[in-house]
Amino acid sequence: MSENPFEVLKEDMENEEVYLKVNAMHRVRVVATLLGSDKIKSQLIPYFETLLKKEDDEVLFALSEELGNIAQIIPNQSSCLLPLLEQLAGFDETVVREQAVKSITIVCGFLGDNEIANTIVPMIIRLASNDTNFTCRVSAVSLMCPLYARAGNQKEKIRQKFTELCSEETPMVRRAVATKIGEIAQFMDKIHVIQDLIPVLKQLCQDEQDQVRLLCMESLMNIAKILNSGENKTNILPLIIQSAEDKSWRVRLALSKIFADLAEAVGKEIADSSLIQIFSNLLKDIECDVRVIAVKSLVRFIKFVSPEKLNLIVPLLQLLSKDPFSQVKQNACEVIGQIASLLPKEYSQSKLQQYLIDLMADDNQDVRRNAAKSAGQFAAAIGPEALNQFVPFLKKCMDDPKWRVRKETMQTIIQLALTVKNPDVFNKQLESVFVMFLKDRAAEVRSMGLSQLPALIATYKQEWAVGNFLSKCVETLSKDVGSLYRINALYAIQQIAYSVDGPVAQDRLWPIVQKCLKDPVPNIKFVSIRVAKSLSKKIDNQQTLNQIKQAINELIDDPDRDVKFYAQEALQN
Amino acid sequence: MNNKAASSKQTPAVRQQPQAAATASQNRTPQPIIQNMARVTDPKHVPKEIRDQFLKKIHFCSQPYDFNDDTKNVKEKQERSQYLQELFDLLKEPNFVVNLVVPHLDLIIEMIEKNIFRPLPILKKTATNGEIGMEDDDQLIDPAWTHLQPVYEYFLQLIVNEQPDVKSLKIFITHSFIQEFLELFDSEEPREREYLKNILHRLYAKLVPRRKMIRKAINDCFYTLIHETYKFNGAAELLDILASIISGFAVPLREEHVIFFKTVIIPLHKVQTCQFYHEQLLRCSMLFLSKDPTLATFLVEGLLRYWPFANSAKEVMFLNELLEVLEVCEISKLEPLIPKLFKRLIKCIAGPHLQVADRAMCFFENDYFLTILKSYKPFTFPLLVPVIAQIADTHWHKVLQESLNALKTILKEIDYQAFDKALNNKDPKYLYIIQDAKNQKKDRQKIEEKWKNLTKQAIQKNPNFKEPIVPYSDTHIVGEHNGLNNGNITIL
Repeated sequence: MSENPFEVLKEDMENEEVYLKVNAMHRVRVVATLLGSDKIKSQLIPYFETLLKKEDDEVLFALSEELGNIAQIIPNQSSCLLPLLEQLAGFDETVVREQAVKSITIVCGFLGDNEIANTIVPMIIRLASNDTNFTCRVSAVSLMCPLYARAGNQKEKIRQKFTELCSEETPMVRRAVATKIGEIAQFMDKIHVIQDLIPVLKQLCQDEQDQVRLLCMESLMNIAKILNSGENKTNILPLIIQSAEDKSWRVRLALSKIFADLAEAVGKEIADSSLIQIFSNLLKDIECDVRVIAVKSLVRFIKFVSPEKLNLIVPLLQLLSKDPFSQVKQNACEVIGQIASLLPKEYSQSKLQQYLIDLMADDNQDVRRNAAKSAGQFAAAIGPEALNQFVPFLKKCMDDPKWRVRKETMQTIIQLALTVKNPDVFNKQLESVFVMFLKDRAAEVRSMGLSQLPALIATYKQEWAVGNFLSKCVETLSKDVGSLYRINALYAIQQIAYSVDGPVAQDRLWPIVQKCLKDPVPNIKFVSIRVAKSLSKKIDNQQTLNQIKQAINELIDDPDRDVKFYAQEALQN
Repeated sequence: MNNKAASSKQTPAVRQQPQAAATASQNRTPQPIIQNMARVTDPKHVPKEIRDQFLKKIHFCSQPYDFNDDTKNVKEKQERSQYLQELFDLLKEPNFVVNLVVPHLDLIIEMIEKNIFRPLPILKKTATNGEIGMEDDDQLIDPAWTHLQPVYEYFLQLIVNEQPDVKSLKIFITHSFIQEFLELFDSEEPREREYLKNILHRLYAKLVPRRKMIRKAINDCFYTLIHETYKFNGAAELLDILASIISGFAVPLREEHVIFFKTVIIPLHKVQTCQFYHEQLLRCSMLFLSKDPTLATFLVEGLLRYWPFANSAKEVMFLNELLEVLEVCEISKLEPLIPKLFKRLIKCIAGPHLQVADRAMCFFENDYFLTILKSYKPFTFPLLVPVIAQIADTHWHKVLQESLNALKTILKEIDYQAFDKALNNKDPKYLYIIQDAKNQKKDRQKIEEKWKNLTKQAIQKNPNFKEPIVPYSDTHIVGEHNGLNNGNITIL
C-alpha cells in the first residue's frame, strides 16, 4: 500500500480549514524527501506556484519556512526554489516576506560564490529596484547584509544600491536601512564603511522621522565597534553629539539606552574626553524617562571611563539623588553603590555617603529598597570604618513598614557580615541588626534570615552561634510572642544543631527543645519533633537519646493529627 | 452638557475673546499691532516700526518653553498667548493680511513649525501608579495643550483665510513638512487631532498642486500602520480626510486609486487596532464602492481573508460591514467566494458567542442576501441546511433557537425539495463545524495514517530525516512555533 506522497499532500491541502493546510504545508519535507529532486522541480514547484495566488497568509508563511527545509534536502539544486522565494519576499504580509528572506539565506548557504554573483546579486538588485512594491525593497535590504560578503566583484553594485535606498522617500525603506546599516558594515571593508556608509548614516541621523533617527542609534554603536579611535572621533562622535541634542526625547532615550555599550565601542580615550560630557547632559535631560534610562546605563558606563574622570559624574549623582522622579532615584542608588568601589574612599565618603543615607529614608519604598542594597555595596567598598555610620540607618530600615525594604536590608546586612569576616565588627555592629529577623512580622524576612544562617555560622563559628545568637533565640522562645516567631526560632536552633558537636547539642540545645515539645500550640510541637530528630543525629549519649525518644513518644497520642503523624514518623526511623 | 461641547467645538476662538481682551487692556504698555495698523492711512506702506513690532512678536512666539511645568516662565507664557491673540486678530482684516502677513509667510510658517513639530509626549495618567484593574475613564490631557491650541487655531485660520494664495503657501508645504505634520496625528490628545484633521483637510482642498504628494504621504502613514507599528492614534482622523478626498475622485477611478483601495483600505481591516477606526474605514470603503461597485468583491474577499480571530467585538463589526458590502456586489461575480462566505456565516452562527451568532442570523432578514442564497442554491443549500437543522434542535439559547427554526422554515419555503435533499445528504460537508473535537479527530484519522506511513518511508530513504513538527496539535502552542514576536501584538 504505497501512497503517492504528492497526492496525499494535495488531498490534505484541499481541506477547508486553514490550520490543517498549515499542518500539511509543514509536512512538505516528507513529500520532498520521497519525491527526489527531479519531481520536486517538475511537480512540487509548479504546484506551489498555484498556491501563491490563492492561499491564506498563514499557509504562505508555512510555505516560506518549508522552502528553506526543502533546500536542505536538495542542497545542490536548491537554486530552483529561488523564483518562488523571490515572489514571497515581495509579499504584503510582513511575516511571510521576513520568513522568505530567511529561507533565501539558507538557499544561499548551498550556492557557490559564482552563483551568488550571477543569480543572487541580480535578484537582490531586482528587488531593490522594484518601484511599485516597497515590500520588495525592504526585503532587498535584509538580504544585502548576509550576502554582501560573498558578492565578490558585485560588491560595488550592492553598496551603491544600499546607499541609494538610504535616500528613499518611503519611510518604511529608510527604517529598514537604518536598522541594517550597522549590520552590513560588519561585512564591509573599513574603507567602504568610511567612504560609503558614514555619509548616509549621517544623513539618516538627520532624518525628518524620529523613528528613523531612533533606529540609527543601535547601528551607530555597531559601526563604532569596527572603527578605530581616530576614525570614531571624526565620524561617530559628531553623530553622538548631535543625537544627544535631538529634539525628540525618543531618540535621546534610545541613545541613553546604548550609551554604556557605545562607550565600550569607542574606547576609553573618547569616552574620557568627550562622552562623559555628552552623557552628563542626558542625565540632566528634561524628560524624566530619558533620565531613568540614562541612570540605568550609568551603572555600566562608569566601568568604561577612567576612575579619575569619575569625579565629573559625582555632582550629577548628587543631583539625581534629589530627582523628583522616584525611578530616577531608584537607579541612582544603584550607581552610588557601584561607583564607591571605583572612587577614592574619602572622596565617596565626603561626597556621596550623606546622599545615600538620605535615600534610605525616601518616601518611595522602591527607592528605600535600592538604597538599602546599595548601602551594603557602599559600606563594603569603604571598609569597616563606614559601617558604624550606616548601621543606625540600616537598623531604621529594619523598622520600615514595607517588608520588601526590610528583606533587602536583611540581605544587605548578611552580605556585609559575610564580606567583613571580622568577629569584632560583626558583634559590635551587625549582629544586633541581623537578629531582628527573628522578630520580623513578615515571613519573607524571617525565612531570608534563616536561609543565610548556615553561611553566617560557618563564618562566625560555634562560639557566636551558641553564645549570643542562641540567647536571642531563647529569648524569642520564652517570651510570650506569636507561635510563628517561636517556630522560626526553632528552625534557627535546628540550623545551629547542624554545625555544632554532640556535647553542645546535648547540653545547650536539647533542654530548649525539650521545653518546646510541651508547647500548647500543635505546630510548635511538631516542629520541635523535627528539630529534636536532627539533634538526635548529633548526640551520642544514650541517656539523652532515650530522653528524646521518650519525649516524642509522649506525643504519639496527641489529639492533633499532624503532631501524631510527625511523632510516628520520627520514631519509625 | 452636549450643547456646551458642541459650541466649544464650533467656535473656540470666539469663546476666548473676552478673556483675551481683558488681559490686553491690562497690559496696555506695548500697543497691540492691530490698533497701530488701524491708524495707518495707506495700508500698502506699513511703517517700519509696526513691521518690526510684528516681526518681534512672531519671533517671540517661536521661542520654546517648557509647557509641562506651569510654574516656569509664567510671565513669558502669558505674553506669548497675548501676542498669539494679536496675530490672530490681524487675520480678520484682509488689508492687514495682504500687507503684513503674506510678505512674512516664511517666518510665520516657521513659527508654527517650531511650536507644533515636537516629539509627542507619552501622556502619563498620574504621578502615582493607578490601581491595577481600575477603569480610568478620564481623557488624558497634554498639559501643553492650552499653549498649543492658539497656534493651531492661528494656523487653521491662516489656511482658511482667502488672502494667502496657493502660490505663496505652496512653497512651504513640502514633502517633509507633510510627513512631520502627519506624524503629529499619532498624538494622544483628541483635540489636537481634530485640529490637525481640519488643517490638513483645508490644505488639501486649497493646494491642488500638492494633492498627490499629500495622498502619498498619507499612504505611507497607513503602510506603517499595516506593516510595522499596528497602532496609530490618528487613523480615524486620517480616514475622515480620506473620505472627503475619495468623494472627490472622478469616475471611472484612476488605477492609482484602485491600487490604494487594494493595498491600503482592505489590509487596514486586519490591523489589531481596527476597532478604533472601523467606522471611518467603513465609510471610505462604501464611498469607493459607490464609485466603482466592481471593487466590492475584492472587499468581500479581503474581509473573509482577514476575519478576526478570538475577537468577537471585531467579528460583529466585520459582519455588519460584510452585509453592507454584499449588497453592492453583483451576484454573478460572487461565485468563487460563495463557499468561503457561507462557511464563515455558519461558523459565526454555530459559534459560542451569542452576539456574533445573532448578527450572522440577521443576514437572512436581508432580501438581497436571500437572493444570493437562492441564486446559488446548488451550493448554499447543502452547506446550510444540515447545520441549521441540527443546531435549531440543540442550540442552548432560546431566542436564537427560535430564529434558527424560523430560518429553517424560510429555507424550506424557498425550495422544499432542495431542502429535503440537503437534509438527507449522507456526507454533509460542513457538519464538522458543529462537531466536537473528538469526532473531528476521527475524520482526520485516515489521512493522518497516510502521513505517518509516508514519514516512515522518508526515514527509510534518508536516515537523517528530521520529522516535521506540525504547529497545530494538542500539545503545541502556535505562537511559539511560529516564533511570533509578541512585541508586535498590541493588547487592547
